[in-house]
Amino acid sequence: MASDQTSKDFTPDITVLYCGRSLAEPDSAKQGTMQTDGCRVKLVLLPCSSKMEVPQMLHLLKQGADGLVLAACPEGACRFLVGNDRAAKRVEFARGLLEQAGMGAARLVLDRGAGRDLDSLLALAQRQAQEVGPLGPNPLKGVNAR
Amino acid sequence: MKNLNAATKLEKVLTAGEFALTVEIGPPRGPNPEPVRQKAALLAGLADAYNVTDNQTAVVRMSSIAGAKILLDQGLEPVMQMTCRDRNRIAMQSDLLGASALGLRNVLAISGDHQSASAGGKLNGHPGAKSVFDIDSIQLLSVIKGLRDQAVQAGGDSITEPAPFFIGAAWTPLGPPVEFRVTRLAKKIAAGADFIQTQAVYDMDAFGRQLALAHDQGLTEKAFILPGIIVPRSAGMLNYMNRSVPGVVVPQELIDRMKQASDPQAEGIKITLELIEAVRALPGAAGVHLQAIEAEELLPEIIEAAGLRPRPEV
Amino acid sequence: MITAEWKPIEELVSSLAGYRNVLLVGCATCVAECAAGGEREVQTLAPLLTMALAKQGQEINIRTATLERQCEPEFYDDIAEAAAEVEAIMSLACGIGMQLMAEQFDPLPMLPGVNTTSLAIREEPGLWTTRCAACGDCVLGETFGLCPVSRCAKSLLNGPCGGTRENGKCEVDPDTDCIWRLIVERATARGRLDALATVRQPKDWSHSQHGGPMRMVREDLR
Repeated sequence: MASDQTSKDFTPDITVLYCGRSLAEPDSAKQGTMQTDGCRVKLVLLPCSSKMEVPQMLHLLKQGADGLVLAACPEGACRFLVGNDRAAKRVEFARGLLEQAGMGAARLVLDRGAGRDLDSLLALAQRQAQEVGPLGPNPLKGVNAR
Repeated sequence: MKNLNAATKLEKVLTAGEFALTVEIGPPRGPNPEPVRQKAALLAGLADAYNVTDNQTAVVRMSSIAGAKILLDQGLEPVMQMTCRDRNRIAMQSDLLGASALGLRNVLAISGDHQSASAGGKLNGHPGAKSVFDIDSIQLLSVIKGLRDQAVQAGGDSITEPAPFFIGAAWTPLGPPVEFRVTRLAKKIAAGADFIQTQAVYDMDAFGRQLALAHDQGLTEKAFILPGIIVPRSAGMLNYMNRSVPGVVVPQELIDRMKQASDPQAEGIKITLELIEAVRALPGAAGVHLQAIEAEELLPEIIEAAGLRPRPEV
Repeated sequence: MITAEWKPIEELVSSLAGYRNVLLVGCATCVAECAAGGEREVQTLAPLLTMALAKQGQEINIRTATLERQCEPEFYDDIAEAAAEVEAIMSLACGIGMQLMAEQFDPLPMLPGVNTTSLAIREEPGLWTTRCAACGDCVLGETFGLCPVSRCAKSLLNGPCGGTRENGKCEVDPDTDCIWRLIVERATARGRLDALATVRQPKDWSHSQHGGPMRMVREDLR
């Protein structure tokens, strides 16, 4: 168990799931794990933020991610009309569950934005790393990574 | 309606064609009979009969049977209210026989506030209680009528002798679906209601139209209808009732009058007197059911000013 | 469908205290339709409960499965092997499925994951409303296909109480229609308001749970 770690001595693992249509240049999509200031980032490209459902969000956390960001398009700007709104409702629901489970709602956030690039995605990860810092590491970090 | 069913004072006053007056006394939230006796002393001689509520707004209070019996011992004639919320047909009939044994003769059958009412949220109440609603208020009327007219229980078994009751029902004349409300009144009368007390009416035009429909169907010949009037005490109270009490419609004009009044209490009494006058002018209105919620001390003055004293000797 | 909803997460977590291997089993029928116990809910609760317990310092392995129907024994073969390897089963089926689960793998503890709530319909996405009380004495023929036994807070059989709100909703819940208002409207639309003028006598509740547990027998099928 990693529960004896304090918020100061861990490097958060942040997964950023982003809608490819929220990129400034769709061809510039990046995926994979990388290091940035204060956290390790895993970038995952989605065709739409609505592709993420609650079980998948929770699964990623169970796999040990300390924080999750779902980067959706701005309101009214979904290529599939309501995909980003669905994503927002699901994130809200999952955040409620995380709070009830004692994990902290802050481990999961939705971000709405357009014209994204690698820098702005990494900035999202850094912001989320600061949010989850006080919560400490995911208690399942390293336990279920398989 | 010549043969009296229970020969209560209320029945005699109504049968004699006198304009009847009933008021309400809510039992206390406790075991002490004194508050009931005090209210009885305050209101003695003012009305023909006094309704004793049955755990109104789904809050536990002294039982209506006990409250009614205390009034009876003080020389006041009670109308024992009975809701369908808390008792099944076995308990209801048992309580009716017990009430009869204690000399209680007027009974009013109502559905009852749902157990979630909890005094409109002002008290905890018992929202987790199991509701009964074994029979509805109309079926309860039939049951009481069976005990009285056939000396028979709902299940068909006989009782030793008829239980004399003067049977009452409530009516919400202006509640939606308003087109069904007169039919519902007719069902209550067909089921056994001898007299009807209505939800508070402020819109006399709308109520007058509903009563005229009932009158045209001969319902006012079959049962005595006592429109309900609740003494208004502030514009806020009227607004609240208009918005939040189902079936109560308050004309804006009355709310404005209360709002503009320099002495709302005096204006409320004035409005009450006008409403009583309006009720007296309605064909088919046999009396009035007057309530001054948590302000019973206003009733003597109002009843005096309305020319409703002294009450007829019957 | 039979509707259910999750027990509070806190209650689920505490019911799993002390277990290391648990099988979480959903049902792909009614409780899947009402989003309480289908495969999606199994896959939501399994990681969530694992995390919640880890947070409390308890390591647990929650296996998952979803049966086509938990109320039919024939579907249980699929999980027999897994059931033999766990210390308890948490079921997300209705109370019927849960009891069969408890019986099938007796004496393995069966932990209820949901509360069974109603016989309901999905009115719109994310909204389920009661349609039946299983009273055993159907009145729909007299009430124009709208059930006052299950949909009136007081199960009134002779019309609306005085609690109908100005907008036609029920005094008990501002979002629930007064079913008697709907019955009257439907009767009016069909020119049959007179059908509601007859006094309906007290109902025989002995055909419902009030008469004790039902035992229905069909000799031709035994």
